[in-house]
Amino acid sequence: MPARIRLLPACLWFLVLASPLLGAEGKCGLCHPQEQVLAKDSVHASEGIGCAGCHGGDPTTVDEAAAHGDGFQALTDRREIPRACATCHADQEMMRPYNLPVGQYALYQTSQHGKALARGDDRAAVCTDCHGLHEVRRADSPRSPVNIRNVGTTCGRCHGDRVLMERYGHDADVLADYEESVHGRAVSDGNLGAPTCINCHGVHGATPPGVGDLDKVCGNCHTQTRQAFLDGPHHEAMAAANLPECQSCHSNHAIERFGFADLRVLCSECHDEGSEAVGVGLEMQTLVVGAVSAIDRAEQLTVEAERVPLNVEDHLARLTEARTQITESLSLMHAVSVEPVDAVARRARSIGDEVHHELTVKMDRTNAYIGLAVFWFYLAVTLAILFVYKRRLARQRVSR
Amino acid sequence: MEDQRTGWLDWFSRRLGLTEIFSLLTSYGFFHAELDHRKEPRAALTEALSRPMPSYAQWPRVLGLLALILVGVLGFTGVLLTLYYTPTPEGAHSSTATILGEVHFGGFVYQVHYWGAQLLIAVLLVRVVRFFLQGVYRAPRELVWVCAALTLLVAFHSELTGRVLPWTGDGYWSGVRALEVVQAIPVYGSMAAFFSGTQGVAISELTLLRFYIFHIAAFPILLLLLIYLHFSSVRRVGLDPSGEKVREQVGLKEHLVNLAIVLTGLVGVLVTLGILAPQFLPAAADPYATLPGVSPPWYLLAPFGLFELTAGWLPRWVAGSILLIATTAFVFAPFLLGRFDGKNSRGLLIGLACLALATWIALTVYGADVS
Repeated sequence: MPARIRLLPACLWFLVLASPLLGAEGKCGLCHPQEQVLAKDSVHASEGIGCAGCHGGDPTTVDEAAAHGDGFQALTDRREIPRACATCHADQEMMRPYNLPVGQYALYQTSQHGKALARGDDRAAVCTDCHGLHEVRRADSPRSPVNIRNVGTTCGRCHGDRVLMERYGHDADVLADYEESVHGRAVSDGNLGAPTCINCHGVHGATPPGVGDLDKVCGNCHTQTRQAFLDGPHHEAMAAANLPECQSCHSNHAIERFGFADLRVLCSECHDEGSEAVGVGLEMQTLVVGAVSAIDRAEQLTVEAERVPLNVEDHLARLTEARTQITESLSLMHAVSVEPVDAVARRARSIGDEVHHELTVKMDRTNAYIGLAVFWFYLAVTLAILFVYKRRLARQRVSR
Repeated sequence: MEDQRTGWLDWFSRRLGLTEIFSLLTSYGFFHAELDHRKEPRAALTEALSRPMPSYAQWPRVLGLLALILVGVLGFTGVLLTLYYTPTPEGAHSSTATILGEVHFGGFVYQVHYWGAQLLIAVLLVRVVRFFLQGVYRAPRELVWVCAALTLLVAFHSELTGRVLPWTGDGYWSGVRALEVVQAIPVYGSMAAFFSGTQGVAISELTLLRFYIFHIAAFPILLLLLIYLHFSSVRRVGLDPSGEKVREQVGLKEHLVNLAIVLTGLVGVLVTLGILAPQFLPAAADPYATLPGVSPPWYLLAPFGLFELTAGWLPRWVAGSILLIATTAFVFAPFLLGRFDGKNSRGLLIGLACLALATWIALTVYGADVS
């Protein structure tokens, strides 16, 4: 058998084995199998966009020179990547069917990342650093690095890197601080509405909010708190002293629920310990803490009442309302005025006290014990009558 | 025109066959005296009340009477509970919570029903022990023993079905553990599964409904039938194995007063237990989340312990057969013990019974430990 004929089955067999790497539209995978396999799972592949969609060239040939010929771009220079992505992602006509925004590239150029890149710093983050290189996935995919659950880790890959952050004089503990914060814990507990890095810093236009803007950024979610802050004396005073608004008391990444135990210490950082300002703070604290403990006490009693069982749905609904009022009173505290906090905290406290009282009355067993005593009295009388009657019958029997 | 001065008894007797109704009660066994049908009710009752009672029906033989009163209390409170109870997985727990928390005296009725069931089982157990020790199984009283043993078994079944009805996590998983034991018994296990409508050991909506029907209809009817058979047999052969000797000429009237004293005391105990030791309602059952640490009912801990002890080296059906043979032997003991119950071998018999009881207790302790 001639050698050429003997080779034919081997070639056919090779084609069968290699067919998964050939892709829908090209043969790039024969030389770039790893990239091809990664790209196969991407959102681009599922929309029919192959290698040539980004890299150009001719994907239908196995001839290297021809494949890397007309219009080919290797995109090995990181600085080229944002512009290459923007070719499609800034095109309104192309993005409309997917309902995707087209302003990302413009926003990116305003970001610290984009500005650094424009300065020629090729260590600055580009699209692929966050979205992935060939394996770009939809943001709602749990495997996507820009999924809400993964945003902290994705940002932290660079912002938690001490060596890299040292170059820029940035704090490398931000990711650890965030993960320990009330926001980070909420996300890891499954609350996908809780803020990640991008909610405060922006997405493509990522920039740290400056002094004077912090209250606006936090106020995007904490609307009522911001309004109270603007109504109170701290806003103007902090602006005058060039102090970061919310951050001065709450910290930035390691944000915690406010600890009332430390209120005196916290206020004393700026005010004299015996001053009227600290007194106002402590008075508001007393009001809210009193209301919270009344609600906690009532809530504890609902647990016992459920075991009886009593129907406590209405009571629980009222306690939820009271908790909402506590949240409102905490917001109002930012106006540093006792009256509004007092009004709301009193309502919350009275609900807690009412629920506690109603359940205490319902669960009171005193009447049952009194009833039992009365019952045993009548039972004893009945037994006495029966024994007397029995004795009389026995006497009659004996006398007969 | 009717004479308005006659009493209510005469008024009723002119309109109803009162003596027939009393005879019905008498023939069932509630009323231990024969009534003369030919006489007027008043005269017949007066005669019956003055008739002396046989010694076997006198004080202190009250265990059967206590059991009968408890069955009556359970029937009465049970009917009241059915007025609010919903036998569906969605409604069982919430309707029980309604009974306990919202219905006037619902909690009280529930507690009395619960404690009544516990007392009934305790009384029936003590009664079986008394029958054994006093020889109330020797001829001609074999059926008295068989009825007592079967009554105890039916009471266990009734308690088991009753504990699942509130659809609490504890009750549900305790029922599942019990079904695991019952279904290992050859023949009876598959019959029980068929009648309960279970799939494996899972308690479905159908099983709950079947359990409800068993609990409120089938088992009470069986209990009443067994009580009737017991009374009927006792009236034929007497309960006192020492013979028909009459100790005292106690009249029926005096006996009824004794009965009233026992009834009053029992009601006192039930009410006190219901108020001082109320049963709380645990959280609703979740059939998809096994509740850890839940045991089968205490009376099934011994078989459960046996199965756990023999797991790995004895097939389940063999252990189930041992349980079946032991239960059958317990019920039909009078027919098996005859040859061992001579005067010389009485000590041996009591020794064997103590050994069986010790084994049962040891297996119960082991079962409780491993569950």
